[in-house]
Amino acid sequence: MASKRPLLIPSPRTPSTLEYPSLPTFADLLKPVPEDLNSVSTMDSNNNPIENQQNSEHPFHSSSRGSISSLQSRNSGSGNSIREVPIKFGSKGAESDGLGLSQKEINDEDARLIYINDPAKTNERFEFSGNSIRTAKYSFITFLPRNLFEQFHRVAYIYFLVIAILNQLPQLAVFGRGASVLPLAFVLSVTAIKDAYEDYRRHRADRIENNRLAWVLADNQFQQKKWKDIRVGEVIKIASNETLPCDLVLLSTSDSTGVAYVQTINLDGESNLKTRYAKQETLSKVPEKDKISGVIKCEKPNRNIYGFMANMEVDGKRVSLGPTNIILRGCELKNTGWAIGVAVYAGRETKAMLNNSGAPSKRSRLENQMNRETIILSMFLVILCTIVSVCAAVWLKRFADYLTIIQFYHKKDYSETPVEDYNYYGWGLEIFFTFLMSVIVFQIMIPISLYISMELVRVGQAYFMIRDARMYDESSNSRFQCRALNINEDLGQIRYVFSDKTGTLTENKMEFQCASIWGTDYSSGKSSSQDNQVGCSSQDNGTVLRPKVVVRTDPELQRLLRSEKETEKGKNIHNFFLALAACNTIVPLTKDTSDPSVKLIDYQGESPDEQALVYAAATYGFMLIERTSGHIIIDVQGHIQRYDVLGLHEFDSDRKRMSVILGCPDQTVKLFVKGADTSMFNVIDKSLNLDVINATESHLYKYSSTGLRTLVIGMRELSDSEFQIWQSAYEHATTALYGRAGLLRKVAYSVESNLSILGASAIEDKLQLGVPEAIEALRVAGIKVWVLTGDKQETAISIGYSSKLLTSKMKQIIINNNSMESCRRSLEDAKNLCKKFQTTSSITQNGEGSSGTTRTPIALIIDGTSLVYILDSELEEPLFELACECSVVLCCRVAPLQKAGIVALVKNRTDDMTLAIGDGANDVSMIQMADVGIGISGQEGRQAVMASDFAMGQFRFLVTLLLVHGHWNYQRMAYMILYNFYRNAVFVLVLFWYTLFTCFTLTTAVTEWSSMLYSVIYTSLPTIVVAILDKDLSRRTLLRYPPLYGAGQREEKYNLTLFWITMLDTLWQSIAAFFIPLLAYWKSTIDISSLGDLWTLAVVILVNLHLAMDVIRWTWITHATIWGSIVATFLAVMVIDAIPSLFGYWAIFNAAGTAAFWLCLLVIIVAALLPRFAVKFCFEYFRPSDIQIAREAEKFGDVTQLGGAEIELNQMQESTQQVAR
Amino acid sequence: MSFKGGTSSEGSTDSAATKKSSKKPKYSKFTQQELPACKPILTPGWVITTFIAVGIVFIPIGLASLFASEHVVEIVHRYDEDCVPSDYSDNALAYIQSTETNKTCKRSITVPKQMKSPVYIYYELDNFYQNHRRYVKSRSDKQLRSKASESDTKDCDPEAVSKNGPIVPCGLIAWSLFNDTYRFSVNNSILEVSKKEIAWKSDQQYKFGSDVYPKNFQSEGLIGGAKLNESIPLSEQVDLIVWMRTAALPTFRKLYGKIEVDLEANDEISVVIQNNYNTYSFDGKKKLVLSTTSWIGGKNDFLGVAYLTVGGLCLFLAISFMLIYVFKPR
Repeated sequence: MASKRPLLIPSPRTPSTLEYPSLPTFADLLKPVPEDLNSVSTMDSNNNPIENQQNSEHPFHSSSRGSISSLQSRNSGSGNSIREVPIKFGSKGAESDGLGLSQKEINDEDARLIYINDPAKTNERFEFSGNSIRTAKYSFITFLPRNLFEQFHRVAYIYFLVIAILNQLPQLAVFGRGASVLPLAFVLSVTAIKDAYEDYRRHRADRIENNRLAWVLADNQFQQKKWKDIRVGEVIKIASNETLPCDLVLLSTSDSTGVAYVQTINLDGESNLKTRYAKQETLSKVPEKDKISGVIKCEKPNRNIYGFMANMEVDGKRVSLGPTNIILRGCELKNTGWAIGVAVYAGRETKAMLNNSGAPSKRSRLENQMNRETIILSMFLVILCTIVSVCAAVWLKRFADYLTIIQFYHKKDYSETPVEDYNYYGWGLEIFFTFLMSVIVFQIMIPISLYISMELVRVGQAYFMIRDARMYDESSNSRFQCRALNINEDLGQIRYVFSDKTGTLTENKMEFQCASIWGTDYSSGKSSSQDNQVGCSSQDNGTVLRPKVVVRTDPELQRLLRSEKETEKGKNIHNFFLALAACNTIVPLTKDTSDPSVKLIDYQGESPDEQALVYAAATYGFMLIERTSGHIIIDVQGHIQRYDVLGLHEFDSDRKRMSVILGCPDQTVKLFVKGADTSMFNVIDKSLNLDVINATESHLYKYSSTGLRTLVIGMRELSDSEFQIWQSAYEHATTALYGRAGLLRKVAYSVESNLSILGASAIEDKLQLGVPEAIEALRVAGIKVWVLTGDKQETAISIGYSSKLLTSKMKQIIINNNSMESCRRSLEDAKNLCKKFQTTSSITQNGEGSSGTTRTPIALIIDGTSLVYILDSELEEPLFELACECSVVLCCRVAPLQKAGIVALVKNRTDDMTLAIGDGANDVSMIQMADVGIGISGQEGRQAVMASDFAMGQFRFLVTLLLVHGHWNYQRMAYMILYNFYRNAVFVLVLFWYTLFTCFTLTTAVTEWSSMLYSVIYTSLPTIVVAILDKDLSRRTLLRYPPLYGAGQREEKYNLTLFWITMLDTLWQSIAAFFIPLLAYWKSTIDISSLGDLWTLAVVILVNLHLAMDVIRWTWITHATIWGSIVATFLAVMVIDAIPSLFGYWAIFNAAGTAAFWLCLLVIIVAALLPRFAVKFCFEYFRPSDIQIAREAEKFGDVTQLGGAEIELNQMQESTQQVAR
Repeated sequence: MSFKGGTSSEGSTDSAATKKSSKKPKYSKFTQQELPACKPILTPGWVITTFIAVGIVFIPIGLASLFASEHVVEIVHRYDEDCVPSDYSDNALAYIQSTETNKTCKRSITVPKQMKSPVYIYYELDNFYQNHRRYVKSRSDKQLRSKASESDTKDCDPEAVSKNGPIVPCGLIAWSLFNDTYRFSVNNSILEVSKKEIAWKSDQQYKFGSDVYPKNFQSEGLIGGAKLNESIPLSEQVDLIVWMRTAALPTFRKLYGKIEVDLEANDEISVVIQNNYNTYSFDGKKKLVLSTTSWIGGKNDFLGVAYLTVGGLCLFLAISFMLIYVFKPR
């Protein structure tokens, strides 16, 4: 990443036990990882002496802990399917919470002991897993049983297995044994082959991974060892740019202070470097020479990649270890010569592997509804079977005498008196067998092929979504990704979209926009980057240094910086930029360019805001060139100056600010503080420069109302005495053994006071391209967009305006509360307010006589603190009711788990589909909670993508995804399911009717091969192809008229009514198909096979034409498959009838030679399809749906000719005009 | 309104600049789901035209079918009751089961209209479930086809083996072979009954072996029906072949033979029936059918009626849609 190692060294004053973790700012507040919550909030407590500034990443008030942990425990308690590996969210936190001891204790039973460099002893008592990993599911031996076991988790498969087994019983063998197993075997083997191939690829990847080499200490020297042979307890040496084979606790690094830089891109996707530290106690040891011995006591493996609790006993000293002392498998060591560590977790117990559970499996709404209809169909099946067996029972009773004569059941012989039973099991059993046999005959009532068709269709739909050029993101070079293959059709039914803000709506590319310095607003920056090339380069030994990013500058400010160096104004501006350049934790890295005399400075840091500020400072001529923990070097307008960093108070969530104390070249000691406005105004001396403060405040308001992120900067010159007091306190605090964090915070509090204000900076978090249009389109489509953000309220609201989420027409309801009671009250007030708006608007409506779409939109804005009291309490219900009334909901300052809680709030109370979209690790919980989770593969890494069902590059693709693909997917899948039910039921009913004419003995006129091939070859391909390719409306129309999306939300294409109508149609069609030949051939010489072939062909042509009637777009592929299927059926029937050993030899050729055969076929098809055709026409013509109108508009182009459809279309046009605006 | 504007224009201008590594999906009409397609819509014009077209096609077909069916001359003569002597009329079963009774029965039929040759002779059985599952399965196709599989009788129980070995042909179907015989004479001259081509050629050639001879057939136990001449191979036993094509429906006809001369109107045909077959035990009716044929097959009005109904219905719908379209357009 960088060519040179940064020179960050902890200051000599800082004991090395003080960890230097990241220094987060607001941006980081938004992205803690959900798993982190409990452990981190525990560490929040002040009496915990363990230094863990990681808690600064933690954005919650401690009060939020209760609700969060309860939410989590609820999740984990209910065996949440999202997570495969059980994690104890709550236990650990609660435990150490209660202890609150001076030393962090890990219970013996919860701990693992690792003897450093003594793997034998380490693994003696506990069998820790080795380092070989296995992502493959199966081995050669286990493949068949395990794969089958997994496949049979589908209830439908078990049903078909049972039927196949039943058919093997000689008493029940209706079909040939081979024929009955065939379909199931086919389905199973297709899936098995697919699984086997995938597993083979995983095996290969595992083998490569396991055979990588690492340097492991053995016999006092480092030897190469394969990854899979590494054991817990072994000491491992990692060189620069190498990947870590397992989770290591750092012992020492090439850096004398024990710093190591790692890149965690494989783990959480964040590309910036993170610093990790070796403990001082082990730093100096050279493993080859002095034998390191010690014991690490650490917690059991868990999947929290941001948490680690352990302590280490070295040389009789006990030191505690935290997340900054461990480097995890999958990370890469960067900018560090080497690092030595001891393996604590290996193989599948590493945090990387524990987190490696693919996308959670969700089930689509349609599939769940389909189960309901499947149950109805099963009941049909039972009814049919019962009818057959009851009739058979009556027949057997009534004609008991005949049984002997026709010798079906008894062999009667007049010469020998006793009647010999022939396979006759008695009345009761015969009925029972009849029942089972009829189940076998009518088995395809429950369509096995539907399941495999759905899989294939989803793969096809996914293919088209991935290949959609309009969902390809040029900037990140990423296509749309389908990570979950079974919820495609849910995309067409979304009613709620929960969106993250940063990185999702916005680009998360922070850009310095303007500044307010000493009460003056410099925000007219218009000059291009060309003009300020001069100001932002630095000569250093003949090479020119330039910042990698140049921001646009304000010419007035540039001029002031150059000319007015001595005035007070000039000094303040100088100090302001000095603060921007110095008060941060950015590490500058120089990079070579193609021109050898020019080098670029790349600022690495964990916070994009800080990066933006430092780049801004550099552009204005304050270029940070070098940073160690002892000093920084800044090129101030061409003069290289060295500042001693005397102290640095890191950011934490209580103070919401950070400060740095610099020893300047002019021997003064200055304190620079940077922080959120609310926290800064508390520590600014209001007696000084009140007008400046007021001006700044008004500028801040202006900035944040245009959607900018603001920081306030203040400074103070420390006098000698002040400095002395601070220094002694600081040294005392940093060397304290217990309560270090608390002491440091106290020191910070005491020094960060009486500041004089310098100004404020404003950073723009740019909206992504097309976001306002996309939000508007979603809204018009009837989708409620909720934005959940960690940002503060003003920023959130301003982004809301700029993204058109909020409009000036909307009434805003803001809920900001600090207690349960006040929450309850404000919710009640808000509800009353809502009602008032509605009643007033409904009155005006009645006056105008327009439809109900014009009611006053209400926006609800609620903050995280209020949500703490509302979520998980009885206030959820009122909040939900309130939120339902509102067209927009904006939640600010919410924690990751609260996001999930809000999604759950909606999901648990309605049947509406929810979609969550986000890009960061903080969105993971919400993505997994929602029915459909979408990850933005943007700046913030891949955590969200890994957890998501679909991933894409830009927020605006959501419109294409939902309105176009979602709509298509839903329409297609819904139609396919109904059609498949119909298709199989029609065939079963024909079989059933025939049973009534065969003494209820389940003779099938249709050959068993045709019965088996029916849903596999005769009719399957057209429905699959149609379900993949058919489009009811073009992409253009769907995007032009977003309300068309409502069809999916209202479940227009698949509901119980439609199902019953389809079934009625099925009944009629089966009657037509069966009884016309029956009557035509009554009292004729027709034989079973010929009639059977007629029925087969009639039904196949019927169902294919039925499909053809509903096809909307006929491409050549559709033509080929539908007509091809009919031809294929004819061929298949002919082939079957050309096999002499089969019963119906040559039947089709004899039958097809007669005119009656063809006349029957023709009249069956016309008569069967007639009602459907007429009804379909009536509905489409007299009661057209929106989609139908749009289709006609699309075809005929001219809206005005549509007569009755005009009004509806006008409405749609109105709404789309809003989009255009 | 133009969400695509942003991306697509970018895509086209930048496409030259994008490197090989670009994952941008290649444009094709297929992947973008923009294949040329025909989009039929049910407009009133189309629907009404379709209905009228169907009506115009179906009504003539229906009329033609009815006409053809009308031209078929069919004589149906039920004889099962009348052929039982009056002293056995209460106990037909005993009569038919007894070996001593005289089964010969003389009947006479008047030809109502001229019947052009060939005149087909059928026997019609009613309430006879040849499609009973046990009955249908009780045969061995292998055994029928080749001599080598003579002992392949696993499906044939209870008529699989006799004391002397496997029964050929085995199974209930063969066992219950129809054994009434008819002799026809008109004006005292005997009418020849031809048995040529009454069975399917395909059956004779491939399903019934020319080297398979009946064996142990109807030799013991209950005799189900006709006996077979053991010197004639199965492929020539046309009555058996016809019988073995099991009927699809419980009321069926089987071809008995053909009369190759024309029968004139009002001819008195006297039929000598050997009334052997036992349908009395299950109330089955036996009928003798003489029928000419037409392009539509035998006498059957149903198809014609069906075509007329469907055609008429289509015309009716066409007219009503037309009326609605004219008087109450949407």
